Amino acid sequence: MGKKIERHAFEPKIMAFVCKWCTYSGADLAGTSRMDYSPNVRMVRLPCSGRIDPQFMIKAFEQGADGVVVSGCHPGDCHYNEGNYYARRRNTAFRELMDFNGIDIERIEFSWISAAEAIKWTEVIDNFTDKVRELGPHAQYSDDVVDPYAEFLVQKDRETA
Amino acid sequence: MIEQIRNQARQLLENGEVDVVIGYAEGSDPTRTTPVFVRKPEDVDRLIYDARCINSLPLYLNKRHEYTKKGWKKTGIIGKGCDIRAITQLIAENQLRRDEVYILGVPCEGVVSHFEKWDGSLHDGNRASKCTDCDVMIPLDTDFFPGEKPEVDRSGPYKVTSPKVANLMGMENDQRFAFWRDDFDRCFKCYACREVCPHCSCNVCITDETTPSWIDPAAHKKGVFSWHLTRAMHLVGRCTGCGECTRACPMDIQVDLFNQRMKEIVQENYGYKSGYSLEEKHPLITYKVDDREDFIK
Repeated sequence: MGKKIERHAFEPKIMAFVCKWCTYSGADLAGTSRMDYSPNVRMVRLPCSGRIDPQFMIKAFEQGADGVVVSGCHPGDCHYNEGNYYARRRNTAFRELMDFNGIDIERIEFSWISAAEAIKWTEVIDNFTDKVRELGPHAQYSDDVVDPYAEFLVQKDRETA
Repeated sequence: MIEQIRNQARQLLENGEVDVVIGYAEGSDPTRTTPVFVRKPEDVDRLIYDARCINSLPLYLNKRHEYTKKGWKKTGIIGKGCDIRAITQLIAENQLRRDEVYILGVPCEGVVSHFEKWDGSLHDGNRASKCTDCDVMIPLDTDFFPGEKPEVDRSGPYKVTSPKVANLMGMENDQRFAFWRDDFDRCFKCYACREVCPHCSCNVCITDETTPSWIDPAAHKKGVFSWHLTRAMHLVGRCTGCGECTRACPMDIQVDLFNQRMKEIVQENYGYKSGYSLEEKHPLITYKVDDREDFIK
């Protein structure tokens, strides 16, 4: 028995940059355990949370993501001993930078999720999706930028429909 | 003061202790100075120093520039306090060895913010914002200093010098975003802020990479925001606050506000001030087990 599917006017696009050893395995466990969670999340598997360059997050926002999740092993559990400590410092600075730029830092979620915490993963994604859905589309970058190719696709969809 | 510097530079060049002395000379019009590379002892008299000497010369010590590949074994450089801070940071980042450079320190009483604002004297109307509350007017680490070097207490924390940072932090998110949007609207991506930075040391800048193209090269909003965020992120904990990025900007965008804010953050969280130590690692390449993690769920 799954959760009841609700339809919403706006479905946020959420990018997740996750560590291969903990969070990805946790999400894998959620999948093999047939747990339900929001399908809005697109995951990118990386070797370690220390590999997550803030550039990825900047790029995700630039390309139209409404929210970004960063996740890795709990402190002390890193497969490479110290990668998540670096990630923590980097993200402290990055969040402050985004805040100074006026981008809502509610749109960036940082969470420690181990390979056994499938339930935590589903909760984090569900709650974050709800939060971003309430915040609405991330239009700050793109409200006056028109992507001609996207316009073309929309046009084509209308014609074929 | 400048006579002592000239004599020392002449002596160094005559003895062959340094191959070149980088300093300032009179520029193309009376309000301007220009960086000069003195290689012969007889040219030493071109060197000057006054409040118009605003360029940050450590730029030429950065390996990104070809100057360091000219076979110069030792470079003499005239530095005001903030420039010497930049040299110290380059050494701390292994971009430079301390014995490759001979620092001729100058006592500095502040410089003008832009050449155009020079009207014969330095006053509150044209002083650069970095020069208020400066603790390196007597430079920190020098090989030669004209006269006695008094002891200065530099243990205080980093203080933001531009009042705009506090103003911005007092605003709502949307207003802050609107401020930056209006400012960045003018940016046409000349990359002057990158070219003058003494700490941008990537061989290939991430904006110049095309496979993949990380930052949208067009000068529209997305690309401009990405570029400025990336630039500020790369300088977290490394920027020494010379303010050259703002001075060089042809569209008068205050890009160093980002750097000042990030210096404040780094000071608050990790107690680190860039440019004061040759050994201390900058905060993003080191960690403590009990770092702040109140934002992590």
